[in-house]
Amino acid sequence: MGVMDSLGALVKAYPQARLVAFADLSSNMILASQGPQIVTQEHLERLCKQARSSFDDPLFSLTLEAFGEPHSAVLLGPEDVKVFLRSETEPADALCCICDHGIDLAAFVEQLRETLDSISAA
Amino acid sequence: MAGGNQGRTKGLNRGTIPIVARLLSLQTPAQIAIGGARIIAGPGNPSPLTALLRELNETILGRALRFETRDGCSLTLEAAGRRVLRLTEASGLQGAEGCLAAEVLEDENKDDLIKLMEALARPRQELRVTISARGVAGDGVSVGLPVALLADLLLIELNDPNGPGSASDAPPADPEPPAPAARQASPSSPGGSISLARFVQALAPTLMASVIRGGEADGATDGPEEMVTHLQGFLDDETDALHRQLDLVSGSPGSPACMVLGSSMFEGQGVLFARSDDASLLALFEGNPSQSLMRAWAGARA
Repeated sequence: MGVMDSLGALVKAYPQARLVAFADLSSNMILASQGPQIVTQEHLERLCKQARSSFDDPLFSLTLEAFGEPHSAVLLGPEDVKVFLRSETEPADALCCICDHGIDLAAFVEQLRETLDSISAA
Repeated sequence: MAGGNQGRTKGLNRGTIPIVARLLSLQTPAQIAIGGARIIAGPGNPSPLTALLRELNETILGRALRFETRDGCSLTLEAAGRRVLRLTEASGLQGAEGCLAAEVLEDENKDDLIKLMEALARPRQELRVTISARGVAGDGVSVGLPVALLADLLLIELNDPNGPGSASDAPPADPEPPAPAARQASPSSPGGSISLARFVQALAPTLMASVIRGGEADGATDGPEEMVTHLQGFLDDETDALHRQLDLVSGSPGSPACMVLGSSMFEGQGVLFARSDDASLLALFEGNPSQSLMRAWAGARA
């Protein structure tokens, strides 16, 4: 299954996922995205920057010091939930998601992890 | 003028606001200084930095923009496609060597560049711009730093036609420049308030330690003393930086938000930082809070 198909499968399985994007954090680029939310290139660039910022100090260093390197970030905001997941084998690979508050976070994240692992391994 | 702008922009969706902001900027009569430079911020403007960033953000085709103040300080930046590509000249400002030496401005230059911009575009100082063709040496350089990134780091809204730095340049009511939204104590945050005490209560089974600062539960702590002391010390040093990080990640400066950073996705341990109004919560968790996180957040709404 290609990257677009993998992302499409996630969106299909979780209608509360408005946008799922595969990013290369090292080059600050969204490489592919799927979802019902209409976005511009500026939106995608902003989402990628938000992913990078989530794995940045000061929270990064606190997590690193306390528990080891973080690979996941969840942001509960007033309008949506953002989930950022970094590959543990390819640290630049990440999935960036914008979801409704009603999403089953535990199940969604589990499937995100499987999808990211399969993309990074390909 | 400002009231009219508000009337025209109120009710527009988010995608339309940048377009309206650009149309309004085109309608604004230019003020030309002696020598031909255009005045983009007058002496009453609380944020010439906003005006500077907006000029760069309006630059789509490759151009060199020379920003200068009345006292002779200046920066010349090459920009294209809403990106700052190079710094080609700096006068009267310290710490420009790194950016000047860079063939193309990259992520590692952004902090120095921001410092230079802040030093040049100080509050309530006239700022002028002269725009010319890019130098030949800049041909082929096309990556640079997105203006939107710099604006995010400076907590500046590029597309608000009525905000600080707008063309109307009205005298400000507040003599101080605007503080970062995250540090402004607001009685009613956009998106509604959250009771951090109730949030902690709902997450209690997975929390190892927690500290609340500000708000009605100010000073509340839970967990082993050693962990609590560590969290308190971290908050003492990093509260502003934590709010800034939350602003960047949420995209909604000052709004109630909660960020969870985990070593592995919810299987193990992690750190949680949340804020609402003027209250902050920093906590360490163990286990899997993903099931309870959403419910706890929704249940903590005031």
